[in-house]
Amino acid sequence: MGSLFFENLKISLSAVFANKTRSILTALGIVIGVLSVTLMGTLISGLDRSFESSMSWLGKDILYVSRYEWFSDMEWWEVRNRPRMRTEYVDKIKEKSKYALAVSPVMQRGASLSYEDKETITEIFGTNEEYMETISTDIERGRFFTASEDKVGARVTIIGGGIKDAFFGDEDAIGKYIKIDNLKFRVIGVLEKQGKFLGLFSVDKQAVLPLGAYKRIFSKRGWMRLSVKVPENKIDEGLDEISGVMRQIRGLRPSEKSDFAINQTKAFESQYNRLKIAIGGTGFFITLLSLVVGGIGIMNIMFVTVKERTREIGVRKAIGATNGMILSQFLMEAVTICFFAGLLGLSLAYVSSIFINKIFPSTLPLGLSIFSILISMVVGIVSGFIPAYKASKLDPIDSLRYE
Amino acid sequence: MELINLSDIYKIYNVGGEEVRALDGVDLTINNNEYLAIMGPSGSGKSTMMNMIGCLDTPTSGIYHFEGEEVHIMDDAQLASIRNRKIGFVFQTFNLLPKATALHNVEIPLVYANIRKEKRIDMASKALKDVGLGDRMHHKPNELSGGQRQRVAIARALVNNPSIILADEPTGNLDSKSGHEIMEILDNLHSKGNTIILVTHEDDIAKRAKRTIRLFDGKIIEDEISK
Repeated sequence: MGSLFFENLKISLSAVFANKTRSILTALGIVIGVLSVTLMGTLISGLDRSFESSMSWLGKDILYVSRYEWFSDMEWWEVRNRPRMRTEYVDKIKEKSKYALAVSPVMQRGASLSYEDKETITEIFGTNEEYMETISTDIERGRFFTASEDKVGARVTIIGGGIKDAFFGDEDAIGKYIKIDNLKFRVIGVLEKQGKFLGLFSVDKQAVLPLGAYKRIFSKRGWMRLSVKVPENKIDEGLDEISGVMRQIRGLRPSEKSDFAINQTKAFESQYNRLKIAIGGTGFFITLLSLVVGGIGIMNIMFVTVKERTREIGVRKAIGATNGMILSQFLMEAVTICFFAGLLGLSLAYVSSIFINKIFPSTLPLGLSIFSILISMVVGIVSGFIPAYKASKLDPIDSLRYE
Repeated sequence: MELINLSDIYKIYNVGGEEVRALDGVDLTINNNEYLAIMGPSGSGKSTMMNMIGCLDTPTSGIYHFEGEEVHIMDDAQLASIRNRKIGFVFQTFNLLPKATALHNVEIPLVYANIRKEKRIDMASKALKDVGLGDRMHHKPNELSGGQRQRVAIARALVNNPSIILADEPTGNLDSKSGHEIMEILDNLHSKGNTIILVTHEDDIAKRAKRTIRLFDGKIIEDEISK
C-alpha cells in the first residue's frame, strides 16, 4: 500500500497547490481554530509559570492569620467588627501549638524611602526576627535583625533588591543610612531579587524593619497579620490546630463563629484555577466553533472537488482503482489541506507568541502544537469522509461519460 | 484458447418505468489473439457490451467468464482488480490526467497494482518507447498532439500486460493521419499476440479487424470472420 500512499500524497499536494487561493480560503477556519487553541495554551503556560514562581514566593506551608478571608464575599462591616490581631498572640501561639515552626506578626503601610537625592514610595513591613522563615526570599548580603534589636526597637532595616539597585547601584548598601518617612535607618541586609508577583507588583521594592521600631514610629494600632509556618506535610493538621489555638486565645465558645480567618496559598490556587478555566473555556469554545466552521468549509470544497473531477474518478476506476483507493485519495486530500492549515495556524501562533512573550513571559507548548496539528488532521478526516465516500461510490461508466 | 465467454447475457435498465433491454440474450466467445470489432448504430447496445466485456458493468442475468474467472458474481473490488490486471482501456477522448506527465499517466495502473516505484518507472518508460514516445515522457497531455495523447493512452493500456485491449472509438477524435498511426499501432500489437477489441461505427476501421460482430437492439445480428 506504500506506493498508493505516496501517489495519493502527490495528487493531494498538486491539487492543494494548483488551487492556492481556494485552498487558503477553505482552510481559514482551521487556521483560526489552531491559532486560538495554541494561543490559549501559550497564555495559560505563561500564567502557570508566573503563578508557580509567585506561589513559591508565598510558600505553601505558611498560614496567614488575619481578620479577613482572601477572596471572600463577606460584608465589609462584618470584617471591620472583628477584633484585630495582636502582637501578644505570637507568644501564645508558640506556647500552645506544636505545629507552628515560626510565627511572625506583620504590619504593613506605605512610606517614602530616600537616600541622598533619590526617593521612592513603597511598602514597609514591621515584623519580628522569624520573618525570614515565613518568606521564601533569602538575604543576599548582610543579615536580618535579631530578637533583641526588635525588642529595643533598633532603627535598622533590610531592603529589597530593587531598592538597593535604585539607591546604591553597584555600591555596597550595608551600613549606609536611608530615610524612611524622614527618619534615619541603618541598612543591615539586602534581600534577593524576586521579580514581579503574578506579573503585577514587585516584592523587590520593600523595606523590612523591626516591629518594635515600626510600632513606636509609625503606628501601634493598624492592620496586622500573623504568618505561621507549619510543617509542609502537616498543613491541614496545622490549620486545625492554629484555628483551635486562636479560638482559645479569643475565648470563643463552641457555638460561636470564628472571628478571624486563616488563609493559605491554596486560596490563590483555586482563584487562579477559576481564571484558568475561564480562559481555557473561552479558548476551547472559539476553537471548537472555528473548527466546526472550518470543517464545513472543507466538506464543501471537497464536494466541489469530487464533482469537478468526476471524469478523473471514472478513469482511475477503469484502470483499476478500487472504491477504497478512491476514498483514500480524497480523504488524503482533505487531510492535506487541513495539515497545511494547521501548520499555517501554528506558525501564526508562533509569531504571535514571540510578541506576547515580550509583554508577558510565555512559551508555545510543544505538546499542544503537535496536538493542534493532529486535531486539524482529524477535522480533515471527519469532514472529508462524506465527499470521499461519495467519490468512491461513483459509477465508473457514468463518471467516464461526465462532461 | 478461450479468453472471454459471455453466455445468455441480459442487461436490463428501467427508464421511467419502462424496461430497456440494452443487451438481450447475448452469447459470445472471444479467443486469445483475436482482433474483434464490435459495430452497430447508436442505441444498439455497443457501449453496454463494451462496458460488460471491460468489467465496468455486471449483467442483470447471464454468465460471464474471463479466463475462467466468474465476472458476473464479482463485487466492486474484484471488478477493479480484474480491470487493473487483465484489461487495457483506450478511450475516444483519451482520458489522460491533465496535470500528470505522460510517464506518470502510464504509471497509474501500476500504482493500483501496488508495484514499487523503480519497477513502475521501468515498465512505464518501456511502454512509452513501444508506442514511439520515448522522447515525450515528461510532457503533459496539453503539450502533446492528439495522436500522441492517444499513444500515451495505449501505453497506459499496455503497461500491465493485459489479456485484452479494449478500444472504444480510438480514432474518433483524431485526424485521419493520426488515426491511421493509431490503427497501425493496434495492428502491430495484434501481430505480436495481443487480443484487441475495437468498438467503432466506421467500416474502414472495422475492416482492419479479423472478426466483426454487429449489434442491433441488444442482440448480435451478425458475427463475421474475415480472411
